Amino acid sequence: MVASAQNKEAGSAAVSEGVVQGRPIKVVAILCNWCSYAGADGAGTARLSQPHDFRIVRVPCTGRVDPLLVFKAFEKGADGVLISGCHPGDCHYSEGNYYARRKFELLRRMVPHLGIEPERFHYTWVSASEAARWQEVVTTFVTGVAELGPREGRAL
Amino acid sequence: MSDRQAIIRELAREALAEGRIDCFVGWGPGYDGSQVIPVFAKDAAEVEELQWNPLCHHNLTMFLKRKMAEPADARIGVCVKGCDSRTLVALLQEGLVDRERLYIVGVPCDGVIDRRKIDREFAAEVVEVGVNGDTVVARTAAGAEKHFDRPALLLDQCAACRFPNPRVADDIAGDTVPEPEGEPVWPALEEFESLSPAEKDGLLAAVFSSCIRCFACIHACPVCYCWDQCVNRSRTPALVGQRVETPENLMFQLVHIFHVAGRCPSCGACDRACPVEIPLYLLHQKMNKELYDMLGFEAGVNVDDRPALQAFNLDDPFGQG
Repeated sequence: MVASAQNKEAGSAAVSEGVVQGRPIKVVAILCNWCSYAGADGAGTARLSQPHDFRIVRVPCTGRVDPLLVFKAFEKGADGVLISGCHPGDCHYSEGNYYARRKFELLRRMVPHLGIEPERFHYTWVSASEAARWQEVVTTFVTGVAELGPREGRAL
Repeated sequence: MSDRQAIIRELAREALAEGRIDCFVGWGPGYDGSQVIPVFAKDAAEVEELQWNPLCHHNLTMFLKRKMAEPADARIGVCVKGCDSRTLVALLQEGLVDRERLYIVGVPCDGVIDRRKIDREFAAEVVEVGVNGDTVVARTAAGAEKHFDRPALLLDQCAACRFPNPRVADDIAGDTVPEPEGEPVWPALEEFESLSPAEKDGLLAAVFSSCIRCFACIHACPVCYCWDQCVNRSRTPALVGQRVETPENLMFQLVHIFHVAGRCPSCGACDRACPVEIPLYLLHQKMNKELYDMLGFEAGVNVDDRPALQAFNLDDPFGQG
């Protein structure tokens, strides 16, 4: 009890380091090859500062992202999952992200139902030219997850 | 009630005699007087076994999801309640059953009895359940007897049922029953939804720790049909681990739930099939509630609709930014 309260206090100080309660947080970012991955690449090229405790999984299209991959990430210990693809209307394959949008919205609504804080899952759209937007999206998301700290889920 | 039973037998007898079907799937006497089991009638004598009463909970559509009975071109007659018919509609929407080879007898439903509600009232095994109007009499082998009010024994989902009449049928067994109007409600979810994330996590961990992954929920589900390459049985991709621990058990169920998203009408067949009584309705009812909130979508209502996740609308009212 006392230890966890102390951890909580220490946690707020440690957020800037991205390390809370003794272990770094792990965030999985699933990005589509054509827009968001290029946007994140652009942010790197432009030397925009970003959090460093997230790992990118590059997929051909958000339409390929099975909602179960997100649950699998949580099951395997991810503390947050971020999905980003082309803006609706801009999909390289015309309509992949329209199908994906329904799946992700259902996912966003189901995640809290499984005992996972809603802040740990986010889906959005970032185009190849939006390096600054990528910086903002990933910084906001990772900071939010860092504030929650590592997950201690028992169910998933 | 027995009227409907007589009509079901009559329709089955005629269809078999005229050679329109090779086999009729209905409900019939079980191992004792307390339950019914699926019956496959192939001649007039077997038709006499067919029954209809509030114990007929089985969703018989599940027998259609795999390759139909031998010979491969067999024509099947099947009984469906309102909820069962919605799963059949879901299969028809995807072209997974051949409508031309089906003879569908729709049975308007007054609600199905939850056997577990009776079992909880007895220490010994119940061997006989009799229904007379709104009175249900249950008896054990030793002769212990209790009387119940039928409405109080119905499955929870029957109280909130919006489609008691079949959505697709060639013939209807008797008069249709009145359908409630208005928005769908999910009273069974309220308590769980009010919990904090940590409490939900704890509760799910508690119930899914008892899952033995017997596949009963998947076998009983009429719309979970990937029998050749079920990812729950596969190691590639390794979505569900070989370890039998709580997270793997929940992943196992999430595979089921998300694979039937947009096609599951919460018929509850998985709930009733679960030997360790995991409250699976928490997941599939929630999914249906959210699909309704998102899109006003209800699964298996019209044969011409597309399942929600197999379609899209440019103007879907979410994820615009």
